Amino acid sequence: MIYNELTRRYFESPASVGELVSGPGVFRGAAGNREQGTWVQFDLRCESGTLRAVRFLAFACPHTIAVSAWLAEQSVGRAVTAVLPESVADLRDRFAVPVEKMGRLLIIEDAWLAAAVPAIDYEG
Amino acid sequence: MTAAAQMKPASMPVYLDHASTTPVDARVAARMAEVLNSDTEFGNPASASHDYGDIAHALVEQARAQVAAAVGAASGEVIWTSGATEANNLAIFGIAQYYRERGRHIVTSRTEHKAVLDPCRELERRGWRVTYLVPDRDGLLDPDQVAAALRPDTVLVSIMHVNNEIGVVQNIGAVGAVCARHGGAWLHVDAAQSVGKCPLHFASLGVDLMSLSAHKVYGPKGVGALLVSQRGDRLVGRVQGGLGHRGRVQLAPLLFGGGQEQALRAGTLPTHQVIGMGLAFELAASISSLETVRVAQLQRRLWQGLASIGGVLRNGSAMHSVPHLLNVSFEGVEGESLLAVVRPHLAVSTGSACTSALAQPSYVLRALGRSERLSESSLRFGLGRTTTERDIDTAVAVLSREVGRLREIAGTRAAKVAAAVAAT
Repeated sequence: MIYNELTRRYFESPASVGELVSGPGVFRGAAGNREQGTWVQFDLRCESGTLRAVRFLAFACPHTIAVSAWLAEQSVGRAVTAVLPESVADLRDRFAVPVEKMGRLLIIEDAWLAAAVPAIDYEG
Repeated sequence: MTAAAQMKPASMPVYLDHASTTPVDARVAARMAEVLNSDTEFGNPASASHDYGDIAHALVEQARAQVAAAVGAASGEVIWTSGATEANNLAIFGIAQYYRERGRHIVTSRTEHKAVLDPCRELERRGWRVTYLVPDRDGLLDPDQVAAALRPDTVLVSIMHVNNEIGVVQNIGAVGAVCARHGGAWLHVDAAQSVGKCPLHFASLGVDLMSLSAHKVYGPKGVGALLVSQRGDRLVGRVQGGLGHRGRVQLAPLLFGGGQEQALRAGTLPTHQVIGMGLAFELAASISSLETVRVAQLQRRLWQGLASIGGVLRNGSAMHSVPHLLNVSFEGVEGESLLAVVRPHLAVSTGSACTSALAQPSYVLRALGRSERLSESSLRFGLGRTTTERDIDTAVAVLSREVGRLREIAGTRAAKVAAAVAAT
């Protein structure tokens, strides 16, 4: 398997790995299944509609780990919305994800939305 | 700059994939080069009308004797092939074709090499019936399983000696006895992984056909052999309802065009390849028991180091395996990520067949009852003559660091256990 430079960088040195301590404004979402080979979890901490901290865990392939790490890093300081900070199609191109792995990007999206939607509801 | 030189990274990873292939022994390479550069040894071994042919023929026969001596066979039982894959194909299709009127049933196991399984699948497509035996969780077959699978129309049993993924050694002598009692099933053994790793004596195992390879034994790629027993005392035909008679195994050839190799494998012999295999087998047979002990110590060191990581499972019987091979699964780690972190540092085989973007779990480990996830997150370490303690320590250090990192990213319980152990 060939990985592009961005994928290698975020797979080899992913920041934002871990979990946030639960509390007000902290939301967790997960998707996938370890037994099926791909599982992703995001923890989001929101204040006044803005993402202040993001952490992730991933039992997954290098592409999935790299995309999750990149999303966690890039989204801090942005408004929490009911969509990914970047579309699945753009993520596919940015990380050169093979077409056979597109389903894994959708798992990332599902995990993100599972955390973001309650956060939006909380913020009102 | 050559293509290979362009591909070579500044620092090559530690080579721990000797079960896949071995570097050519320098003495073998030198002898092969001598033949290739010789003014007198380039003849066609089948040319009986001049000295060039006679010289090449003598070299080929010397190599045949070297291979035969290394595995307890007679020279006349060695049929040169292009490798173990061709030898397996010749054995399976050769028996099926020759005995097609007597029966169309074959017995093999689910953990055989693809070079046995794929010919069997092809025969199924052509109307043969194949029984695939399932080994126990250690990868071992019970000879009684073979006995129970035999039918009146069984013409072939094909069971490997040393498994190429997990290193487990099957009790071939007992399987041979089962086939002999049956009186109609010939026994083929894929022994590509056996030579130089464990005792192997063709004549005393009750085997009719045995596949060998040169490149697993520090010889060249592109050459192998099928041993075809010349014993004429094999009881055959008893399953037809009669008392049977004594005879020897017969094969139909796959290649036609010159009658070489007792008309079983047509084609001009590659003298330098054959000579390389002969010398490689002679050298393998002379390997001292100290070398075997050295490799066994390295394997023990590797296993102890990996086991200390935690959440590492050994695949295959530890009691009944060669010391040159260790297969383990890592809990809480995804297979493709495991390969990605290991690849820059270690040349090992993974439990996945990466024939596409999505890996397929090892069918051998699945046959042992391992889950898909554990089958994918497995590594096969092949130790050999060039392996050192430093190589082993590097492997343990790399895996300890990287598996811990992947488990931390995955948030798996084993990571927390490992972290707790590390913290203490």
